[in-house]
Amino acid sequence: MLKGSNIHKSFGDLEVLKGIDLEVAPSEVVVLVGVSGSGKSTLLRCFNFLERINEGSIEVDGQVVDPKKHKLSNIRAEVGMVFQHFNLFPHMTVLENVIEAPMIVKKMKKADAIVLAKGLLDKVGLADKADVYPSKLSGGQKQRVAIARSLAMEPKVLLFDEPTSALDPELVGEVLGVMQQLAQEGMTMVVVTHEMKFAREVADRVIMLDEGRIIESADPVTFFENPSHERTKQFIQLVD
Amino acid sequence: MELLETVWDVFLRTYPGFLEATLITLKITAVALVLGTILGLLFALMKISRSKLLQTIANLYITVIRGTPLIVQIMFLYFGITSLIVLSGFWAGAIALGIHNGAYIAEIFRGAIQGIDKGQREASSSLGMTRSQSMRRIVFPQALKRSIPPLGNQFIITLKDSSLVYIISVPELFSMANIEAAQSFQSLETYLVVGVYYLVLVMIFTYLLKLYENKLNVDK
Ligand SMILES: Nc1ncnc2c1ncn2[C@@H]1O[C@H](COP(=O)(O)OP(=O)(O)OP(=O)(O)O)[C@@H](O)[C@H]1O
Ligand SMILES: [Mg+2]
Repeated sequence: MLKGSNIHKSFGDLEVLKGIDLEVAPSEVVVLVGVSGSGKSTLLRCFNFLERINEGSIEVDGQVVDPKKHKLSNIRAEVGMVFQHFNLFPHMTVLENVIEAPMIVKKMKKADAIVLAKGLLDKVGLADKADVYPSKLSGGQKQRVAIARSLAMEPKVLLFDEPTSALDPELVGEVLGVMQQLAQEGMTMVVVTHEMKFAREVADRVIMLDEGRIIESADPVTFFENPSHERTKQFIQLVD
Repeated sequence: MELLETVWDVFLRTYPGFLEATLITLKITAVALVLGTILGLLFALMKISRSKLLQTIANLYITVIRGTPLIVQIMFLYFGITSLIVLSGFWAGAIALGIHNGAYIAEIFRGAIQGIDKGQREASSSLGMTRSQSMRRIVFPQALKRSIPPLGNQFIITLKDSSLVYIISVPELFSMANIEAAQSFQSLETYLVVGVYYLVLVMIFTYLLKLYENKLNVDK
């Protein structure tokens, strides 16, 4: 579904990703962990083409993406992204946030987009907030709207960059709950998170990034109970 | 006390003419601001565009306008334009003020656009919007809203700056005061009166702006 081969990414002299190979199968949930600065966000941003890779290739749904040839906006529409700070559009109501991209990008009729959006808001438990502006929502509600907004484009893969890190602890659960539900419905997901419980219970595979390289990739049980790399052991001790 | 009485006399004698002149001041300010907003938007877009040429043109315009006195720009434009086409002092003055304002308003818009969190553009990109779609639908509406308070300030500055078009004999408030002062030999009183006219206009507008800003904060 999503495949990166030999991804290299540098910012100036700083090489942040040093040859990442990662293939995500349809309906697979991959949790990406690693210490701060290891390149997790950068990798997700490369998968969303918000950053240009210096070397290597990215395939979406079996097609190699060439930024020179393809219209990146078309590809991005197939890869959704959920951000740490939600990035909702503050000048639009919740409903308008969700219908915007289907209408503008997919040229969907407004009436159809509204039906779609209402269904998605219902799914994330926010049907009653459709006409509210984002500033009136709690962090957890904002993030659930952001998820609904991404889902409205019917992406093939959904990327999450620390979706609960900006939330008060008591609001983390409601967002993880929605994500877990998506995973059960077969959504392909790559999730950067420090919520190890989520990794243990929802992930099909946990991957450890360290200084721009994947040093561990295993099912959650093996990853947490029997990691092969010393750095992984240290990391698990640190976060658990 | 005596001064106050003569000021009052001057006020009573001049207000029919001065109110008419106030209207001209407001009109020239409004035209200048509309023109300045259009130019400002255009040059702000050029400045944030990816074309080096457009950026350079916009920078040149902004540098020249900000680096020369308004009164020089007014004279330059007045003699420049009227040597090519027949144009009233009002329109020459309004255009000069408009071009002048364009440079400042361009900076207001540019600042507002660049002040929008880059997460907004990333979110719209990640949803598949093109650069221009995300500008049009996401960035501009927010930037425009944020521009309104500084645009209000610019309006106040322009209102006062418009007095400089007296130099090309536009019968606005300050011109009228000059004429009145010269004819009546009551310069001190006349300029005091005209100063109050400007002050009142500015205070009314400042109040309206405050109302708007409060409303913005409530909305948020
Ligand atoms: N746009 C950029 N320009 C320059 N350096 C950058 C840029 N983005 C990221 N970096 C650097 O790349 C490295 C990896 O950053 P990245 O954000 O991918 O890490 P991360 O694993 O997501 O960390 P965190 O857990 O703190 O979010 C860091 O050293 C960061 O400073
Ligand atoms: Mg990060």
